[in-house]
Amino acid sequence: MVVWAVGVCIPLAAQTLVGNPTESAFKSQEYQRPQNCLPCHQRQFDELRSSVKSGYRNVSPLFNGLETAGNFLGGGLLRPVYSDSPLVLTDGTPLNTNMFTSSPLIRTRQVQAGFCYTCHNPIIERDANDPTKREVPQLAGVAVDFKPELFRPLRDYHLVDSNGKQVLPTDPGGPPPVGAGPSLGASGITCDMCHNVGGPDLTRSFQNDAFANMSLLLNKSIEKVGPFAFPVAVKGNFHVASSDQSKIDYLRSGAFCNACHDVRVPNNNLTASEGSSQPGGDQVKYFRLENLSTEWQIGAYNSTNNPFGKVVRCQDCHMSQFPFGGNSTYKVGNLTITSPTPGVFATDFAAVPGVSTEGNYPLPQRKVVNHNFTGVDVPLLSIAELRSRLGADYPDVFQTGTDAHGIPLSLESRREALLKAAVRIDTSLSDKTAAVGGLFTARVEAVSLSGHRFPAGFSQERTTYIKLNVTDDNGFLLYQSGYLVDKPHPNTGEAGPDGNLDDEDIEHAHAIVDPGRNTPTYTPGAATNGSTNLVFESGADNGPDSRLYSGKPEGLVLFRNELTRIFLPGDSLGRKDANGNPIVVQRAHFEETFNASFANSVDNYRSLSPLEPTTFSYEIQLPTQEELDQLGVQLKFPLHVHAQVDYEHFPPLFLRYLTQITGANGPAGHSLNLVDENRIDAFLRNIPNLASSDSVVGQQ
Amino acid sequence: MKDHGFGLALLVAGLAVTAAAQSSNAASGPYVPGVTFQNFNPNYPKPNPFYFEGKIDWEKLGITQPANAWEYSQRAIHKQDDLGDIPGAIADYQQALDLNSLTKGTCQLVTSATLVNGVLPSTLNPAPCMFTVRLRLAYLMRKTSPETSISLYKEVQQIDPLRLDVSALLAEVYVIEAENAATPDAKQAAYANAIATYNAELLLSPVTPDYTVLTGDEANNAHVHWGLAAVYEKLNRPADAISELNLYLKASKWHSDTYPWRIPLAQKKIEALGKEIAQRDATQ
Repeated sequence: MVVWAVGVCIPLAAQTLVGNPTESAFKSQEYQRPQNCLPCHQRQFDELRSSVKSGYRNVSPLFNGLETAGNFLGGGLLRPVYSDSPLVLTDGTPLNTNMFTSSPLIRTRQVQAGFCYTCHNPIIERDANDPTKREVPQLAGVAVDFKPELFRPLRDYHLVDSNGKQVLPTDPGGPPPVGAGPSLGASGITCDMCHNVGGPDLTRSFQNDAFANMSLLLNKSIEKVGPFAFPVAVKGNFHVASSDQSKIDYLRSGAFCNACHDVRVPNNNLTASEGSSQPGGDQVKYFRLENLSTEWQIGAYNSTNNPFGKVVRCQDCHMSQFPFGGNSTYKVGNLTITSPTPGVFATDFAAVPGVSTEGNYPLPQRKVVNHNFTGVDVPLLSIAELRSRLGADYPDVFQTGTDAHGIPLSLESRREALLKAAVRIDTSLSDKTAAVGGLFTARVEAVSLSGHRFPAGFSQERTTYIKLNVTDDNGFLLYQSGYLVDKPHPNTGEAGPDGNLDDEDIEHAHAIVDPGRNTPTYTPGAATNGSTNLVFESGADNGPDSRLYSGKPEGLVLFRNELTRIFLPGDSLGRKDANGNPIVVQRAHFEETFNASFANSVDNYRSLSPLEPTTFSYEIQLPTQEELDQLGVQLKFPLHVHAQVDYEHFPPLFLRYLTQITGANGPAGHSLNLVDENRIDAFLRNIPNLASSDSVVGQQ
Repeated sequence: MKDHGFGLALLVAGLAVTAAAQSSNAASGPYVPGVTFQNFNPNYPKPNPFYFEGKIDWEKLGITQPANAWEYSQRAIHKQDDLGDIPGAIADYQQALDLNSLTKGTCQLVTSATLVNGVLPSTLNPAPCMFTVRLRLAYLMRKTSPETSISLYKEVQQIDPLRLDVSALLAEVYVIEAENAATPDAKQAAYANAIATYNAELLLSPVTPDYTVLTGDEANNAHVHWGLAAVYEKLNRPADAISELNLYLKASKWHSDTYPWRIPLAQKKIEALGKEIAQRDATQ
């Protein structure tokens, strides 16, 4: 069998199966379910279980849908390969290591193999070299041999029967079989995932700096790394609390998060030449999808030169009382900011007293981290669906009440509070006066208060924007930006407006993405596997492009980063011209794309820079007196400028693209039961008004 | 305008971190959490072969004096957007264009002839022509020098004929030209150019039967139809103006408008223009 790298055939040097062997002097221990840690660490277990990275992400219709879309486009290249892989490249060298088991990681196909799965389930992937522990199988055929009709979403493989034996849904992507429960891998990021850390694996990062590619050494031993230098002995030696200071320091540092919170896609970036600097890795080219860790690394929070006068680590906001630990007031530029204080930790026991220590040695109360890992996401599954895949005890993300330290139990509430702590705006720089028929300029100064740009993470989808309205004193709407309109979505079966604005995209561009279609013979690429834009046009609020490329002070201010496809001469655009003929590009053509696998450029500078206020102008034309007369409107001053920051955790367009590409008419030829219009309507909830500001404009 | 009080302090901190990373050589030095990092500035994209056409925070580039077309264009964007220094921005855009010029042969259009064995080389000599610098300078020059603006927009159309919004921007300049025309013939010609160019914009995202099935829309690009209607009104072509206003209403049906009052105004205008036609017919 022959494996084709994307675009070029790359000779693979002789590979050594590394797979992160234990570097701990302590005895070996199998990968543990988080439930095994529960008796002594109930609080941490409960907190972790309510985070999206534990459990939910692995069964998420979005994660599974995007991984599926990437495989449809490339021919299954994103699925892991293992040590018994029969795959060889064109020069005869074997391909039998994946992103996590390749060290050094120097080949594009190694990076592709398990690209998504590696960060979400590294230990399960490593242990899968043993076929008896394998959850996600290696695909029988990839590239031209790929069979989309046989393809299953990753989550299909995370189900077991009452005997612990893997069971699969009857239909690919179908509901869990009766009696099925979560597999070991269904837990996603677990206690063992972090507390087995042995240090950074520099050879797996492209720049030898342990950024991206899950470049962590994960031990397989009873040595568990915690935050305390002098831990109390653990009852029964279930594990040994590490006293290795370098490991403890690493776990406590922001750098620990770098391995997964930079994501570098092995596609050649046509606007920024970036490639691996590892010896022998010069053929690996990439673009930056998630760039969060880099943003933190070079930002003010990774220094003492910030409003708090100390390094503010990832843990200080995402594993602390933040944003419920009190406020600080400080100046950023001309803005006086009051916002939650990072780095405030609760005092509690690190383990359950009376059951966790040898000889019931008394535990001290100490400053402890929490394990909520609150971010910007909430599940797009019902609680029943979550429990059917992750266990009957899976917490309700909307549950009421707070924990012992005053933090809401509801993930939804925690997310909203975190987002509201992340941004401030001010409209006071707007023109003070305006005249009927004239131009006036509204100005919105915006600043991110996070340790990275905002939004961050999968910032090309996290949709944060300024909603701005200008009204007269009677409420007559003179100008709007960042607005939503209830409309039909025939492409996903919504025949008419449904009274729901949360499933609407902001009006900056109108796009429908080609979902592709099943064909008798699979061919890698976009031609039949979707991702080109069937419809792509400027919207009525064509802001980001006007502002960025044309310098025109109008329209939507969108903090969402952008994935771009640069079509080259001869490429098909995927849509038709006015005469019904396919459009073939004659010159290089840049266009927004909604699938990272299809992108060959990215703009990660549309998000707000942290702690650096930026001002956005809106040059607004007021109606003339003649126009007002025609309308029968008497304009009443003062005018009112209202701006607020609104948030969508995914653009509906992106969900509709996934709906189609994983639907019955997509490349699989049958539905994979991941996303549909009903799911979008039921679970996609925007958060309006993260921050707001108002000002008035007098008559000139 | 961007604040620089705290920002500059952050820049110093950021550069210190970068410098530390460079001096420690990430590839060989001992690993230090929070310090060990790649030894190049992640904010400075090396063209491959295209330039990054968006806006990068100027301070993060670590440039003291621009040395090439792209660096001049980034400083120009900074001056325009963050400092409000329009003359300074224009000067930098012009410098960037001088170094990325079609007429001087310092840039090239990327066509099929550019590919080598069907593959795009990572380096092109001359470099690809940039569109952002042209679009931004064209917009800034649209009133003071419409002819320069028109020329620049036409260059962008050569660089990427499928790029959205360029024709609409160009049409707006033709309208400015028409409003300032010295003779009736020049006015007519400029308006004719505006009409043709607005229509060219519409053709880039045509409303086909497939389009309507996918979106439910029967027209697109409300602003272009609004602009066309205004031109037809100026030309005293009420029937054409009504037609465009009707398309405007169709295009805004599911998308509204940044100026929502234009929607009822379009209806009023259609009524008024209809009466105008009826009166004209009655007097003929």
